[in-house]
Amino acid sequence: MSDDIRSLTDRLAAEPSSLAFLELGETLRRRGQLEAAYKVARGGASRYPGLADAHDLVARILSDQADLAGAFDAWSSALQLDPMRVSALKGIAFLYFRAGDALAALDHLQRAAEVDPDDPSIAQALERVRQEVTTAGPPPPAGAPPPNPAAPPNAAAPPTGTAFDDVDGGEQGQLLVDGNGLRLAGALVLADGSDASDRVAARLAGASREAARATRLLGLGGWHSIALECPDGHIVLSSPTAETILLTVRDRSLPMARVGLLAERAARAARTWLERLG
Amino acid sequence: MSPTDAALDRVTRVPGVRGALLVTGSDGLVVAEQLMDGVDGRAAAALTASLVGRLSRAAESAGMQPPAFVHLRGDAGSVLAAPAPGDLVLVAVVGPDANVGLARLEMLEAAGRLD
Amino acid sequence: MRALEPWVVDPLQSFLTESSARLTLLMTTSGQVVAQHGFSRSLDVMTAAALGAGIVASTEELARLMGASRFGALVHHGVRQSCLLSAFATPRGRWIGVVVFGPETSVGIVQLFFDQMVQQLMTAAPREQVQAPMLAENFESELDASLKALFGR
Repeated sequence: MSDDIRSLTDRLAAEPSSLAFLELGETLRRRGQLEAAYKVARGGASRYPGLADAHDLVARILSDQADLAGAFDAWSSALQLDPMRVSALKGIAFLYFRAGDALAALDHLQRAAEVDPDDPSIAQALERVRQEVTTAGPPPPAGAPPPNPAAPPNAAAPPTGTAFDDVDGGEQGQLLVDGNGLRLAGALVLADGSDASDRVAARLAGASREAARATRLLGLGGWHSIALECPDGHIVLSSPTAETILLTVRDRSLPMARVGLLAERAARAARTWLERLG
Repeated sequence: MSPTDAALDRVTRVPGVRGALLVTGSDGLVVAEQLMDGVDGRAAAALTASLVGRLSRAAESAGMQPPAFVHLRGDAGSVLAAPAPGDLVLVAVVGPDANVGLARLEMLEAAGRLD
Repeated sequence: MRALEPWVVDPLQSFLTESSARLTLLMTTSGQVVAQHGFSRSLDVMTAAALGAGIVASTEELARLMGASRFGALVHHGVRQSCLLSAFATPRGRWIGVVVFGPETSVGIVQLFFDQMVQQLMTAAPREQVQAPMLAENFESELDASLKALFGR
């Protein structure tokens, strides 16, 4: 055992509640001692479930162990705790890219670049993924299955075409998004025919948390909905479950109050659909 | 009365409005405020500006222009926001029984006059 | 994130989560680092701590000369990054916070949750132990021990 690992192990043994597990886990990972690294990191993540660094470390180790589904889940947990976490955004982008979903990879890298525009590795990765997107041709239609069956488990959207069957307009103009900014159901196709679903979903990551924070700190309890009156349309955001956010878009010809009613109906449909999925 | 005070005055006169503020959109800092006791102006400014910024980016991703009015509805009241020229946002914190429709009209009118 | 004392972890973690700050340094007014987030090199922490302590001392002296009470916080606005410096009282003496943040958050959010962190630190600080004054002869060894704990080296 090398001196630094011994010293870190001693520190952790002397004070099991310390954050030395992060350094120890990372050192072991870099040395290729992945099983030991995983035990240390998993123990730390169990002790500190609210610490994004711990989930990030678990994800890096699992990625090294080629457990891509596990790494995806761990990075998703890190992102839930810290939506701006660049390492998790880059990690998930990498997994999407490996799974053949260059567009989703691009979305995550763009978010990472917004958070840290000075990171040259993000710029390089963006360039590489953009090349892939350009050569791969137009994106698949909304709701199409992921191109590679080896895609990370959370990346494979549940079967669409069923969530909003009973809602006026069906899937188009409704977008159900999970806490990590990933599309669960619905579609948002723009006037020029391009599919903005994944881009908008990514932008909504953390919106539910931020709305909840605002109403809580202002003494207004939990949040129900957010209505946005734009010059070219009406948007209503609602929260069918604690972990999801639903976006409903209609043009300005439909009064905002009616868009609100439509959003309530869509939220009920989304809740039922999510319960069916288990 | 300055245009800012006039804007806040007409919003706070609407029944159910607990307070109105003019805040900077990018910094989330209070420029001017008229608040009832118990309304945390600094928190309202920071949290609302941040949320409006995020929602504007989401709207832009959806191919739409930034919102002219935002209504965040909570269990015990609402936060209303009307972006104004010059990176300003007019914000109101209202109770559950407030006349939101009237508050909206006053805010849109007041925000337009801040040009 | 690294902290010398466990009771600092929760308030600081909560601040980091809510504020989206990129770098944060908590230290005593003498420049002894108590906790840090985001720094990867101990040299950077030492430099930032020394500069932060110096800036706060200068502005407080300036405030005194102007007959004002202490400045609440000092914010440097940058295009890509901004920096907030603020001194505050704790049961362990006066501390300084240095926070670097980007356009993904705002100075309003950072200040709001910084103040919340200060309140939480006031509540969480153990009262029984009074910090010993820093002696010149043990300053270096204290600093060295702190940096080892903060970077695990």
